[in-house]
Formats: sequence, structure tokens, C-alpha cells
Amino acid sequence: MTDRSTVNDRLTPDPVVIENHRVLGVVPGIPPGGERKELEREEAVMVWPHLLVRHAVASLVVVGLVVLLAVLFNAPLREIANPNLTPNPEKAPWYFAALQELLAHFHPQVAGVLVPTGIIVGLAALPYIDRNPHLLPRYRKVAVATFTIFLVVWIVLTLIGFMFRGPNWGWVWPWQEWYGEL
Amino acid sequence: MSLREQLKELHPMQRFRESAIGRSIWRVPDPKTPRDAAAKHWASFFMHIYPVKMRKEEIGFRYSWYLGISSLVLFLVLVATGVILMFFYVPSPQSAYLDIQRIQTDLPFGQFLRNAHRWAAHLMVFVVAAHMARVFYRGAYKPPKEFNWVVGVVLLVLTLLLSFTGYLLPWDQLAYWAITVGAAMAGFVPFLGDISKKLLLGGPEVGATTLLRFYVLHVAVLPLLLALVVTIHLWRWRKDSMLSPARTEDDLPIEEFVPVKEES
Repeated sequence: MTDRSTVNDRLTPDPVVIENHRVLGVVPGIPPGGERKELEREEAVMVWPHLLVRHAVASLVVVGLVVLLAVLFNAPLREIANPNLTPNPEKAPWYFAALQELLAHFHPQVAGVLVPTGIIVGLAALPYIDRNPHLLPRYRKVAVATFTIFLVVWIVLTLIGFMFRGPNWGWVWPWQEWYGEL
Repeated sequence: MSLREQLKELHPMQRFRESAIGRSIWRVPDPKTPRDAAAKHWASFFMHIYPVKMRKEEIGFRYSWYLGISSLVLFLVLVATGVILMFFYVPSPQSAYLDIQRIQTDLPFGQFLRNAHRWAAHLMVFVVAAHMARVFYRGAYKPPKEFNWVVGVVLLVLTLLLSFTGYLLPWDQLAYWAITVGAAMAGFVPFLGDISKKLLLGGPEVGATTLLRFYVLHVAVLPLLLALVVTIHLWRWRKDSMLSPARTEDDLPIEEFVPVKEES
């Protein structure tokens, strides 16, 4: 039963398929290692088409969002750069607004060096610090609480630096004066 | 049935696949069993980036919110729009600002391209950060995925650097002073402050050298680096995809199969 013709193999319209496997041969007897029982795992599905179709839809939504934003809003362009004319307030890009806000309260080496370095190193070290094997939030309260506090503080600082700061880094209400730049 | 007759019965696409040219392109025959489909998946350059199979719960919106793929799509949008913008932009203080004005007014769809590049860039920073938060909350940085989380942190830093270097290029007041503020932080690094600032700016303050430096970093060094690290990130994602252990009812990992003892 050794048909080595690969072309014929490819063209065989109906291979013997049992439980999704092409049957090559049947050996009588029990396996030498004994029967193994596989614990029930979550059902696995083929990535094509199940995931790829979803990814295609997600990609179209993202591209659509970018097109919509680009049609509706123009990117800002102020006057040409002038090293002799410092604007007030001077603002860093929004993703550094939290750091800039910290700079107003702490020594630059703390806010400008220690905090960002600490965040990056801390994030990178997270999987090696948190060795709790649980996945569900209710079994990992410390990790979830710590991360959530950090996240909320960071978002609040970013919003303050971005929207609530005006000339001389003084407090402003965004609905009265707007100094945020994207 | 002869081979010729069998071929005649096939669908034209299948017939092309069975031809010498078709076989050279696809490498594997048309799939008949799931195992064949998996082999076909592996044999495809584009498909092999993905794992063949995934847990059903991991492919839905609720699991990932599709933030990883969104980051990648935004990066691709940025490469596409960025390459077109490069044709019309020269990174020198004399021409940069005028080039941006010309892109907006003279280039067909120029304003749209610049807008898309700008908003996609802001979105990418946001989506990458959100991706990280989502991965945290579902505990997807746990074994065996610890190292891929670290690779993700590197990607976050690269994304921020890409956005920051791009911010200077329009050479307007907004760009100039945002970079001045941002770069001031580099000066606070103990001992290496002056050197790191000088290395970043190419001088005591933001100038022509800074613009050229940021441009080269923005269009060549950082995107290539990001593409490389993204490749590693996806490769690890695929390698680890089915390896996270199944869970008991108490949400504890089950390490391996439980062998059933032979009765004797």
C-alpha cells in the first residue's frame, strides 16, 4: 500500500478521513504508554477564518476612524518657529503632560528622571514581580489595585497638564480658557 | 480515471494550484483535512504570522478589544502617509515650515494626508497604552508570556519616541517649544545631563542640527527598529498562543495532561 505518486495523492478526491484525521493505517492493540486522558481545554478554533475576519473588520474600523478625523479636523500649524519668542504656557506633547505637571511640583531630577525611569523599569519588571498565577481580578486584588491607582493618577495628571494649565503654568478652567495643543 | 480526466473535473482555481506554477507559489496542495489546512497556513508567508489555532474566547472583542491589531494598523497608516509626505518635505529650518504650508495648499489631498498622519500618530500612542492596560487586566503578562510584555514595554517607548521626534518636523512655534520643553528633561539626568541633551539636540538648543537629527530618527532609525521589535512581539505572541495552561475552577493553571493509569 505504498503509493509514492505525489500527484495522485494530491488528486485523490476523498481520502479516508475519520474525526478530521486522514487515516494512514490502523494498528491493533493498546498504546504502550497506556491511555491518556486529556483534560478538557477551551475549544480551539482555526485562526483563518475566525480571527482573520475579525481583524479585517477591526482594521477597517481603525482606518475609517483615521479618515473621518482627517476629514473633520485639520492638523494644527502655528507661526514659523521663533527661538526668540517663548509662548506662554510652553507645553510638551500631551503624552508628556503628566511629567510636565509633576515638574511643577517636584525637583526636576525626581519628576524628569526618577519618575519616568521608574515607570519604564517598573512596567518591564511587572511580570517578574507579580508571580501570582491567577488571572481573574478577584484573585489578584493587590496587583489590580496598584495598577489602577497608578493609571488613574497618571490620567488625572495628564488631563491637568493638558487642559487645566495656562500662562505661567497657572490653573485655568478648560471651558473658560483653552491651552491644550495636539 | 486518468490523471488528465481528474484534472478536468477540478475548479479552475484548483487546476491552477495543481499546475507547476501554482504548486511553486503555494507549496502545499489544496487542503482536504484540518491538518492540510494547518500546513497551508504555515506555508503562507502572510498567514504564518498568525498561530494556526486559538482558543475561542481569545478571538472575541471582549478579550482583547482588538487593540494590538489596531496599533499595527495605525503604524501601517503612518508608514503609508509618512512616505508620501517625505516626498514633499526637506528637514531644514529654511524649508521645513514652507514645505508643510505647500503640502497643505498645493499638494492634492496634502492637507488630508497631513491630518491623517497627525491623528493616526496621536491615536497610536493612545491605543498602544490602552493595549498595555488591557493586557494587564486580563493577566496576559503571566507565564509563558512574561518576556513578550517586556518587548511590549520597549514598543511603548519606541512609539513615544517616534511621536516625539515627529512633533518637531513642522517647525512651527508649537513644535519648537514642545520639543524644547521635552528635551529639557534630558538635561536633568544626573552626571550625563549635558551630554544626553547635546546628543539629542546636537547643540545647546533646538536648531538646524536637531531638526535633521529628529528627521533621520523619525523616518529611518525608529521605524525600522519598531518594525523589528513588532516582528519579535508577534513571533512571541504566536509561539506562546496556545501554551498558556488551561485553568481549574479556582482559576489556577493546570500544567499538563493527567495520565490515566492502566488497570492491571
